[in-house]
Amino acid sequence: MNTEPLIDSAFLEKLERLALRWQKSFPGLVGGHNASHFAGSGQEFLDHRHFHHGDDLRAINWRAYLRLEKLFLKMFQIEPRVPVRVLLDCSQSMATKFEFARKLTAALCYVGLVRLDSICLQPFAATLGDAFVCGGGRHRFMPAVNFLTNLQVGGKTNYLQIARDFIAKYPQRGLLIIISDFLDDADTERPLQFLSDFGHELQLMHVYSPEDREPPWEGQLDLTDAESGQTLEITFDGDARRNYTAAFDEFAKSIQRVGLRNSGRYVGLSTDTTIEEAVFGPVVRSGSVQ
Amino acid sequence: MFFLNLSLLEFVGVLSTLASIVVALYLLDRVRNKHVVSTLRFFQTAEKPPQQKHRRKLQQPWSLILQLLSLLLLLLAIAQLRLGSPDRSSRDHVLILDSSAWMAARNGQMRLMDEARIAARRYLSLLPSSDRVMVVRADALATPANFFETDRTAIQRAIDRTQATAGGLKLENALQFARDAQRLHAQRPGEIVFIGAGRTAPEDQPTSLPENLRVLSIPGPAEHAGLLKMGARRSVTNPDAWNIFVAVKNYGSLRRSVPVALSFGGATIGSRRFDLNPGTEQSASFEYQTRSAGWLEARLLANDAFAEDKRAVLELPARKILAVTIYSDEPELLRPIFQAIPGVSATYVPTSRYDAKSAGIVLLDRFAPPTPPAGPSIWLIPPAQKSPIPVRTTASKVKLRQWRSDSALSAGLHTKDLEIEASEIFSPDAEDLVVAESEAGPLIVARPKSKLVVTGFHPVRSAMRYELVTPLLFANVLRWMAPDIFRSYESVASSVGTVDVDLESEPDPAGVRVITESGQALPFTLDGRKLRFFSGAPGVVRVLTGDRELVYSLTLPQPGAVVWSPVNARKGFPARMPNEQSGRDIWQWLAIAAAIALVADWILFGRMRGRIFAALAPLSRMPWRKAS
Repeated sequence: MNTEPLIDSAFLEKLERLALRWQKSFPGLVGGHNASHFAGSGQEFLDHRHFHHGDDLRAINWRAYLRLEKLFLKMFQIEPRVPVRVLLDCSQSMATKFEFARKLTAALCYVGLVRLDSICLQPFAATLGDAFVCGGGRHRFMPAVNFLTNLQVGGKTNYLQIARDFIAKYPQRGLLIIISDFLDDADTERPLQFLSDFGHELQLMHVYSPEDREPPWEGQLDLTDAESGQTLEITFDGDARRNYTAAFDEFAKSIQRVGLRNSGRYVGLSTDTTIEEAVFGPVVRSGSVQ
Repeated sequence: MFFLNLSLLEFVGVLSTLASIVVALYLLDRVRNKHVVSTLRFFQTAEKPPQQKHRRKLQQPWSLILQLLSLLLLLLAIAQLRLGSPDRSSRDHVLILDSSAWMAARNGQMRLMDEARIAARRYLSLLPSSDRVMVVRADALATPANFFETDRTAIQRAIDRTQATAGGLKLENALQFARDAQRLHAQRPGEIVFIGAGRTAPEDQPTSLPENLRVLSIPGPAEHAGLLKMGARRSVTNPDAWNIFVAVKNYGSLRRSVPVALSFGGATIGSRRFDLNPGTEQSASFEYQTRSAGWLEARLLANDAFAEDKRAVLELPARKILAVTIYSDEPELLRPIFQAIPGVSATYVPTSRYDAKSAGIVLLDRFAPPTPPAGPSIWLIPPAQKSPIPVRTTASKVKLRQWRSDSALSAGLHTKDLEIEASEIFSPDAEDLVVAESEAGPLIVARPKSKLVVTGFHPVRSAMRYELVTPLLFANVLRWMAPDIFRSYESVASSVGTVDVDLESEPDPAGVRVITESGQALPFTLDGRKLRFFSGAPGVVRVLTGDRELVYSLTLPQPGAVVWSPVNARKGFPARMPNEQSGRDIWQWLAIAAAIALVADWILFGRMRGRIFAALAPLSRMPWRKAS
């Protein structure tokens, strides 16, 4: 049994200065750390508008009224508490990458907890699994770690079904971090586009192993799909490897296009890097956390 | 077309075995590597899967064919495939050269051995150069000088190094060895050629002859007389005298009168003339008295072609005297006993002049010295406190119940109703030997480890004084303590080979040793009273059987009584055999073709394929490049 902690304390200390970032403006409760374009009961002045009946009298700019004898209402920028949801791929194809994905999820969860964000960890494979919601500070991190530790891989990914279920289950828009290899026999781009079009801000964390991108084998191969169990007999050589890598890169680019569409983000993460290198490297550079 | 090294059956067997291994390894090497991958979608775009199901296992059939072809060619090369008829191939001959003692006989200016070598070389020159020859030296043993080979220089060297030995000719062994060699190792058996005088013992003549036997007889001198046997043993009645036995045989066809002179240390001690009819033998006995050691020589004073059996020499050892030091204040009691034992020199010393370093065996008469003797010792009624074997008690009116027959010390000792006035009763250890015991306990005890004997009573001062058992007891004790002194000695001159020894009694096999001059033990068989050993080299062999030592001087050659002359064998030299073209060797070409096939397989299908074709990138792809 592996007794090694999911994330060591030194790395957690480094994570404390980071915060989850999103670009869209979402309606939500006051108390968040990301400024919204929506006006509300915030501290920072945003704009003026005409007073309408029923507006809060406390927001009237009385100085402007004395000078112009017209009622103007001061609008303030709000920093809403936006729901952060992490979709973690637990399908069988993630078997070799799941440890990395689990650590990455834990790291993002800790970053969110430190900033008092509300984090929903939502595992999925063919369907959505039991979610775990945590929030209220770093002291709620250990239950999240326990939840992540108990997750097992298995099943086949069905992104279309996942997108449908997710939209039905979480009608409130928010930040949606998807940690997955995005390998689905059916189309992956369309379900992601659905989620984006629904109003979620997508942060796609594309996790892949070195073998996924550049298989090291050569010769006569008898390959079995981890999820579907389908087999394929091929002759694999240098040329075939180059074709394979090109196809994989093309697939990653298509995922990236979906991610960057509608103000989203995309990060490609190879499992041969450490989780610390991944977070403070590609993830920070992408702007997902800062 | 035929194989030189393998039969067709062997070839097929080896080929099928190796081909099975190659195919198995091929299939093992070509087995697909199984991997579980996250998705197959990119592999499907990267490479097309195999199109034909029936080629699932044989991915590179040409590689397998090339490997099997190279294997076949290599095996054909190893089997030495030849073009031509096998009937015209070379043959394998066995040349049996007679190297028995008689081959040292002179025939005019040359020895028979020299003539045999010339005949062997001549026969060799008549053979085709492709014929292989094995030279076997035949005397008491059949010894191969070389294996079947075509190298004439090596064969001639083997012939030239063949020398006459001291052994007799065992023809049956030599012919059987030649037959076996041709059966087991020859590709195509040729002739078995015997070259020699063929002089052998009547019982050593072969009973059956091989069909391919050829005899090149080397005729030798017919008239010969020689020493047949010589022996010397110590006289039973007079220990200082030797009984000498000499036997002479006339091997010729004419009556002969030959004198034999016997000398010891260079001085003639006797002579005898033997009048011998053809084929008969006579013996004579001599007696000579000496205590000193020396060489006893018998010489046959006759000249003929074979001089090796005209002289026989035996080594006679000096007579050994056993020194016994008797510490007694009453020496007159023991003096008659030790005077009666031959080969013993007793010295009588008062107990007050005891010396712990006394030579030989020490007898302590009712006396315990401050320092025990270093060597073997006899203790008569030792003081109870200083006895080497603890004294349990002292008893009077002790009746000697029995002499323990399981010990050599009490061999031949018998008494009846012997009552001893007083005696010490001992408490022996587990390793001690009880020689005599009474109802009360052991009276005489021996300790083999330190070679000491303790008696609880004085044999001469007791009722045993007038019994015959008293001197016999001391004689047994002395023989047990110093067996070499009393060992009977017999020396025999004989010839090398198998030696049969007739023993006086059936010995304990554990106590029998047969050793050479260098101390090396020879293997022997023991059948009742007959001991048999074999020595292939001249020298001295000692047979030690308990109290007897037999010395065999294996220097007397054994010329053989009859001349073997087979009727059904081919005789004389054959006509020169033509140097037949026995088939053309093509193994070199086969080996080259196999190498080419292997290199082609390596280039086309081996691991270097990628590099080689990378270097040839500008060239268009070859159609066979696709593996499946």
